[in-house]
Amino acid sequence: MPVLQNMLRFIIRRLLVTVPTILIVITITWGLIRLAPGNFYTSEKPLPAAIEKNITEKYGLNLPWHVQYRRTMWNILRHLDFGNSLKYEGQSVNGIIARSLPVSATIGVLAYLLALLVGITFGSIAALKQNSRWDYGSMALAMVGISIPNFVLGPILVLIFSLSFYWLPPSRWAAFPSRNLILPVITLSAIYMAYIARLTRAGMLEVLRSDYIRTARSKGLSERQVVLRHALRGGLMPVVSFTGPALAFLLTGTVVVERLFALPGLGNYFIQAALNRDEPLIIGIVAFIAITLLTMNLLVDIAYAYLDPRIRY
Amino acid sequence: MISHTKELVLGTTLATIAFVTIACSASAKNEVFFGKTTPPERNILRYVTGDEPESIDPPVSSGQPEARIYMALYEGLVEYHPKTLEPIPAIADRFHANKDSSEFVFHLRKNARWSNGDPITAQDFVYTVRRALSPKLASRNASLAYDIRYAQAYNSAAVFVKDPVTNQFLLEEDFTDAVPPEAEPLSQKSIGAGELEYEITDEEPQQDADTAFHRFMHSPPRLTLPADEKRRTARVSANPKLQAAMAGKELVKVSGEDLGVEAIDDYTVRISLAQRAPFFSGLVAHPLFRFVPRQIIEKFGDRWTDAGNLVTSGAFKLKHWKPYHELVVERNPMYWDAARVQLEEIRFYPMSDNPAIMNLYKVGEVDATLNHSVPNAWLDVVRPKKDYMDGAEAAIVYININVTKAPMNDLRVRRAFAMAIDKITYAKARRITKPLFAFTPEGIFSGYPQPKGEGFDPEQARKLLGEAGFAVTQRGDGTYECKNFPVSEIEFVFNTASSNKTVAEFLQAQWKQTLGVTVPLRSMEFKTFMVVRNKLEYKGFSIGLWGADYMDPFTFLGIFSTVGGTNATGWFDQKYADMLNEANSTLDKAKRYELLARAEKLLLDAQPMIPIETSAVNFVKKPYLKGMYPNAASLYPWKFVYIERDTSKWDYGIPNMAE
Repeated sequence: MPVLQNMLRFIIRRLLVTVPTILIVITITWGLIRLAPGNFYTSEKPLPAAIEKNITEKYGLNLPWHVQYRRTMWNILRHLDFGNSLKYEGQSVNGIIARSLPVSATIGVLAYLLALLVGITFGSIAALKQNSRWDYGSMALAMVGISIPNFVLGPILVLIFSLSFYWLPPSRWAAFPSRNLILPVITLSAIYMAYIARLTRAGMLEVLRSDYIRTARSKGLSERQVVLRHALRGGLMPVVSFTGPALAFLLTGTVVVERLFALPGLGNYFIQAALNRDEPLIIGIVAFIAITLLTMNLLVDIAYAYLDPRIRY
Repeated sequence: MISHTKELVLGTTLATIAFVTIACSASAKNEVFFGKTTPPERNILRYVTGDEPESIDPPVSSGQPEARIYMALYEGLVEYHPKTLEPIPAIADRFHANKDSSEFVFHLRKNARWSNGDPITAQDFVYTVRRALSPKLASRNASLAYDIRYAQAYNSAAVFVKDPVTNQFLLEEDFTDAVPPEAEPLSQKSIGAGELEYEITDEEPQQDADTAFHRFMHSPPRLTLPADEKRRTARVSANPKLQAAMAGKELVKVSGEDLGVEAIDDYTVRISLAQRAPFFSGLVAHPLFRFVPRQIIEKFGDRWTDAGNLVTSGAFKLKHWKPYHELVVERNPMYWDAARVQLEEIRFYPMSDNPAIMNLYKVGEVDATLNHSVPNAWLDVVRPKKDYMDGAEAAIVYININVTKAPMNDLRVRRAFAMAIDKITYAKARRITKPLFAFTPEGIFSGYPQPKGEGFDPEQARKLLGEAGFAVTQRGDGTYECKNFPVSEIEFVFNTASSNKTVAEFLQAQWKQTLGVTVPLRSMEFKTFMVVRNKLEYKGFSIGLWGADYMDPFTFLGIFSTVGGTNATGWFDQKYADMLNEANSTLDKAKRYELLARAEKLLLDAQPMIPIETSAVNFVKKPYLKGMYPNAASLYPWKFVYIERDTSKWDYGIPNMAE
């Protein structure tokens, strides 16, 4: 089983790099927060010095920086505990992530599945019927999808489906399956649909001209088998490498869509945490996103080995 | 081939435009109300609160979204009147002040209960205030209670100085010159025993008036010093007399027990203030003073506000809280006035995107929205509707001027820039706000003889700037220029928000037009801006917004009575601070208002800021939602709110605010 062994060795090697990477990410984040002016308690009404002192003492912000840094890192390394949010009194960062991740993940995964379904279908059709009406039609739509930002698309969809015809709710979360999810999922998936369609088309076109497809055809396989078994598998390679970062991004929340539709997802927390200077929450979410991103990339590399017979680890 | 693509793009675009147009026209029908007006089946209010609440522990947050939730869950000695915001009886059924407004007695109703059925007593109030002010809790609002005797000392973890032999404490009056005006902005005048005179009520003669604690409250104030050794030493060494007196003395921490809040018996609370504060009875409606349950807090610690643990004193209790999604409260059957409460539930939705809020309102999924939720661009459509709520707000927009740097240290230059602004035109452009010529909002404090500052006068503005050494000349095309004005020494700083940008661009245009000076604009993220502004790290101008903490002109005028804090101008005049103190020590309301107005005039003449506008309340509520009024602070006592299903009793337009 040398293949599997190599694969395992590869995974272990990658994991060994992952841990220090995340620690560096956390350290840089920790430092950047300190560079930003203002504090989590900075507001319209400035505080008297005595009250500010009470607050800094309560949260240990008066301690020397290296003590604060050591404490933060120790809690993370030892207990995987990112502490409590400063802004949202008494709420643990781990709890906030655990609570908001399913929301972001639901929307994100649904949007990506929709994007895959529509994108691959249209991309393949475009490639198979290159330079036809189908090809131009799908690619024009894809161009529109890429060009219209979701903060424009979302309100247009809301205007049509919620405010004019009262068909779908304009915002707010409800667990899957629910009508509330339709508009945010479509809004979120539009741009991915478009990218995937273009990537599929490009990948397929390249593969369709390659020697092994010619071989497959010359063996007398039906066109259907050629496309589904051979062309699609190779043609989707670019989509697979796109999937890693895209899915990581979608899973960890998309600020715009979550705000537009008032969804209690991770993206909303992330942007608010930065604006609120909520140090533990920022560090927690950044670390979580870093971990997700690295994991996704690892999975993509493994998928590569499976999909492309030429790649070996 | 290319034509195919073009065709398709064109086709798609046209189809989209057509669809959107149909959609728009479908929604732009001439309706009386904005969107659906079907009342909900059950008596459930769905309300958008604004930002996600930070906490449901009342002394913790100072924000409006939280304040409205606190008002459902917790009640204070008094409550805000739903229209006027004057204090009305709540857990206290009556209250009175002594003659000089330095001491307040509240009589609690005997049938007030916690949501678990336990009686609410005077001791609970004492606990609530001691907790709110404890340095350990680190409440950001604690300074609102600093009028209470020794509150500031307790909250700042200060110490008394005691002679271990005689058990006597050093008194403040013996070392008054040791108090720098910045550290102790509040006057600490003695109330003096014997002055005390209560309004006599029949059933309860004031036999309760005299206790050991009460005598302590009325003895001359003790000296308090910082607990921090470095600061204390600095303070002591600055005053030789104090230094001498410190020898052989011991330091005693100011504790919660020293606070001027006393439970005379189970149902009587007495609050002794460090100074006269005629507005104090209105202040105790603030969330900081709302009853919190001692047993529950001591039992569950940090987890006391969890849905399963929380015990409340208000008309509602917590049902569940899903952060960033909804916070639901339900009717509290144990509430003393439960018979009046008609709403079964209130669902607070945390949302901050105004168009999203308005959309939800339009489709009928929320019944009312928070203040300032109608975007400017929507006003043309929404304002004529009968569910649009309009009204004066106890809040202002003004411009701070950094008077510590040239050329703005010259009063003539400040006046010139102020007079160059046509606020009336600006207010017209903004449509719903009112131009402001004073530092207190207009039309809020009835009976207050508000002074007027200088209005728009371009000629005079140019003349003043010329007198200050910056001649304004007219060019051939009729425009003005001010060649030697140091434009690099001024700027207009504001935090990124579309409403601020509107102000900034308007002012820039006005100054350019009238004075020929192009003031550079600098916009920055909110917290960065607050630091730059409050540390006077800006040159020239910065935006200022202020909303009332309580319904009295002093909540505005007090800003400039100290250096630092919200006074982000560097301006200070002892005479102004003294005038305010004098006004607050005046018993007669009309006389006091007059003295406050005189102080305000001094402030306006000194021009450390330029008032711009009185803000306006601006939200929508469904016509079937009754008992909710567009009051000046957007605070709603929810027990008065109900859903009316009889359409003839609906609100068409703004409900009558006068009766």
